[in-house]
Formats: sequence, C-alpha cells, structure tokens
Amino acid sequence: MNRAEVQTEIEEFVRVQLLDGDHSAELTATSPLLEWGVLNSMNIARLLTFIRERFGVNVPPRHIVGANFRDLGSVADLTVSLADSAA
Amino acid sequence: MTEDRDFDIGIIGGGPAGSTMASYLARAGLSCAVFEGEIFPREHVGESLVPATTPVLLQTGAMPKVEAEGFPLKYGAAWTSAETRPVDHNGFTGLTHDFRSAEILFGERDQPGVDRDYTFHVDRGKFDQVLLKHAESLGAAVFEGVRVSSVDFADPDRPVMRCRLGYRTVEVPVGMVVDASGRRTVLGTQLKVKESDPVFNQYAIHSWFDGFDRKVLAVDKAKADYIFIHFLPITDTWVWQIPITDTITSVGVVTQKKRFAASKSDREKFFWDTLASRPELLDAVKNSEQLRPFKSEGDYSYAMRQICGDGFVLIGDAARFVDPIFSSGVSVALNSARIAAGDIIAAAEAGDFRKQRFHTYESMLRRGVRNWYEFISIYYRLNILFTAFVQDPRYRLDVLKMLQGDVYEDEEPQALAEMRTIVKAVEEDPTHLWHKYLGNLRAPSAAPGF
Repeated sequence: MNRAEVQTEIEEFVRVQLLDGDHSAELTATSPLLEWGVLNSMNIARLLTFIRERFGVNVPPRHIVGANFRDLGSVADLTVSLADSAA
Repeated sequence: MTEDRDFDIGIIGGGPAGSTMASYLARAGLSCAVFEGEIFPREHVGESLVPATTPVLLQTGAMPKVEAEGFPLKYGAAWTSAETRPVDHNGFTGLTHDFRSAEILFGERDQPGVDRDYTFHVDRGKFDQVLLKHAESLGAAVFEGVRVSSVDFADPDRPVMRCRLGYRTVEVPVGMVVDASGRRTVLGTQLKVKESDPVFNQYAIHSWFDGFDRKVLAVDKAKADYIFIHFLPITDTWVWQIPITDTITSVGVVTQKKRFAASKSDREKFFWDTLASRPELLDAVKNSEQLRPFKSEGDYSYAMRQICGDGFVLIGDAARFVDPIFSSGVSVALNSARIAAGDIIAAAEAGDFRKQRFHTYESMLRRGVRNWYEFISIYYRLNILFTAFVQDPRYRLDVLKMLQGDVYEDEEPQALAEMRTIVKAVEEDPTHLWHKYLGNLRAPSAAPGF
C-alpha cells in the first residue's frame, strides 16, 4: 500500500466529506485535526468507515487514540501499518 | 368457565397491553373482563410506536380502526447530537453540521409480519380507546371507572379480584389474572416483587405544543415528521419531539432524577432551563402554544423478580419498564400481550393456570427485554457508538432490527456483542478519543433481571 496515495485519499475525504469542501483554511499533513475540532467524535466514526471501505482496513478500538488521529500524516501511518500487519 | 367463576380471565387495566390481551382471548372464545380505573379517553405518555406493533395490530384485527384515526405516519427516527462543545474550528465553516447525528428508515429492513414501511405517532387518549373498544367488539367485557385494588390468591385456582366501585368493594372470582395495570404495577407491588433500577433512575417532564416548527432541528426537512431525539449538551439528558397532529407536537425532557432534584427548581422552570442548552430548540418551543399543563413521570425504571406465577401473569409496563428512548413502551405492551396470550389460551384448554404454563412467555420476554436493556445501556454509556454503528453497513440492519422492536425471537444480535467490546476498550483507555464522551449511566453487568 502506497503511503503517499493513502494520505492523499484521506486528505480528500476529510476535505470533501468532513469539511464540505471548505477551503477557508489550509489543510496540510500536520494540521492539528483534533485541536481544530475537525475530528470530533462523529467525524472519527465517519473516517473509520471510510478507511474500512476504501482500504479494507479495520481500525481496532484500542487504536482510536490521540497519537493516531493527531493529523493526516498519523492517520495515514496508522492505516498503512494496520494494512501491512494484516497482510 | 366453571360455575364458581365470573370470568376465565380477569385483566387489570385497559391500556394497550390489557386491551390487546382481551382481544386475543376473546377471539379464542375465552370469557374475559377488563377492569379499567379511568374513564376513557384519558391522557397518557408514550406516544410513538415502533413497527413491531404492526403484526399484533393485524392479528387482533384492530389495524383498520387505528388507520381510520388518521394518526401521523412514522417512517423513521432521527437523533440529533449535542456536539457543540466550544472547540476552535480554525476558520473552518463546514463544521456547522455538528448537529447531525443519525437517521433511520424502518423500510430499510424487512421485518417478519410487517406489511408496511411505517408505524404511527398517536394521541394515546384516542389510540387506547380504539383498542379497548375493539376488544369489547370482539366479546370482552369492559368495565371503565372500576379500579382493581388487590387480588386474593388464597385459592390459586380461583383468584378473587377486589374491585372498587364507588365506596364499595366488589369481589370478582376468576380463573386467572393478567396484570396490565401499567406503571401502577398492582400485582408487582402487592406481591413485593418490584425492584427499582438503580442505573436508569430517570425523570421526565412533558407537554403538548401547538404550532411548534418541527423543521427547526431537522437536517433533512422532508423528515420533520420522524420522531426526533435531541441530545442536550447536558450529560444523559435528551428531549423527545413527537408529532401528534399536523400542528401539535409532544415535547418532553428526560434527565437523571438526581439532576432534577439538585436543581431545586419547580418542574416548569427545570423544563425551560434544560431546553435553553439548545437555544434553537428553546426558541421553537417558546414560539408555540403550550396546550396542556406539564406532567412529570418519576419512579422510572424497574423490573419484577417474577412476571408469572400460579394464577397470574404480568404484561406491559406492569412487568417491566425500561427507559423509553427507543419508543418501546407500546411495543412491549402489545408483544408481551401477544406472547402471553398464546400461553394463556393453551393453559385454558388444559384447564390449568399454574406457573409452569407460562414458561414460553417468561423466557421470550426475558430475552427481549435483556437485549433492549443492554442496547439502551450502551446508548447512554457511549452515544457515539450508536451513531457509528448506524452508519456502518456491517451493523446498520442489526441496529435497525432492535429499533424496529424485533427483539423477541432471536438470541443476542451480533452488533450488541461488538458494541460491548468497544465500550470496554474505551472505558479502559483514558487516552482513547471517545473516552471523554462516556456518559455517567453505567449499567452493572448484573443488570436487574426478573
């Protein structure tokens, strides 16, 4: 699984689905998604569904911690590492 | 019917549980009598139905009369969340849909015995009267304004009901008694088998409002006639919004009793103060006309250690009352009547109304209520999980099945086991992103069974 592609797709999902295509602030690999409230409890649930449907990766409940959802980069890292460990 | 009994079966209470029981028994040719303390129509809380009521209304033949009342049709349910904590959105304006939470349509899942994709929101004054008159039309004897005060079980084969008639007590000997007395729990109290639920010690305050704009908090305006459950940014507190007519809406606040007690305010002030936590909801209610004085319901959830015995069966709220967040009340009333009626009709044929005859009813109701109870507990404990599961194609139908009230026939739904695992993981890990969303209500693993 290509990490750069994974991150791009997750970024696209966050921008289009969670932010409704809002471009009023810059979204980067290190934008603090939790601090900004982009990943509130419900949006985390929606993101988990996206990751499962798009990449076939189930994120176990114990991995839903701050370090893994801090920003786009860490979400991509989590997705890739779970996919690799399942492979 | 033998000579020394007035009726084969005496039923305490003429609400949906009692009248449905009477309809099943009368159709089976048994002699039965309903004793209802009030004169119908009378007001009653619990106005929103789930589709599990449909097969029962079809079986008893009451459905055409219910349809004829023109009650608002209920195609689904919607939940709005109180995810409005003060967070810095850093200029993102797209986050305004924080209110949206979950919506379901009953028609998404086929349900055995259900021939339509809607159920009803009802004015219980009218609905309960329709069902009681229907039972009477089938041959049940109905006595309104006659309150059963107690039952003498000295001879378990010939219980004697003590009925208050004005200043006199009239004794009515029967073959067996069905307690459908609702939250009055006549037999549960008399036999001392009632246990309050220490977890769901909730309190509700409610009224009817005319001209309330039901679209205010509906994300999809076309679904404004769903039942809405609005979670408030106050722990374990929510508001119901139920259409009663085109313009009248039932609105009620449910909270933990200790929160109400701590507020030291009168109930009216408490209602308005609590609504104020969702300002747009407060405005909508304030801009409508209150039609009835506020009513409150305390002494909330309870279970019975025993729901049947020699010569008696408890059904509906008289058997068990769990928090009403998923509109289960009338469904439990109708389905417990349906299941118990099967046992009672067989018992009458055998000429034996002893406890072992009601075993099917006891085990099916236990199973259904256990599933409900756990589902509701998890809902309060970790609300977000409900939203996540509704949106998850792997579990959506499983959750919908519970919301339809279809809980009696099978063992535990898979979604429940999965939810339990996740709640445990979240509880044990303070760094879990959902940890801060844990509610205060926490059902002990040994939740009271009956």
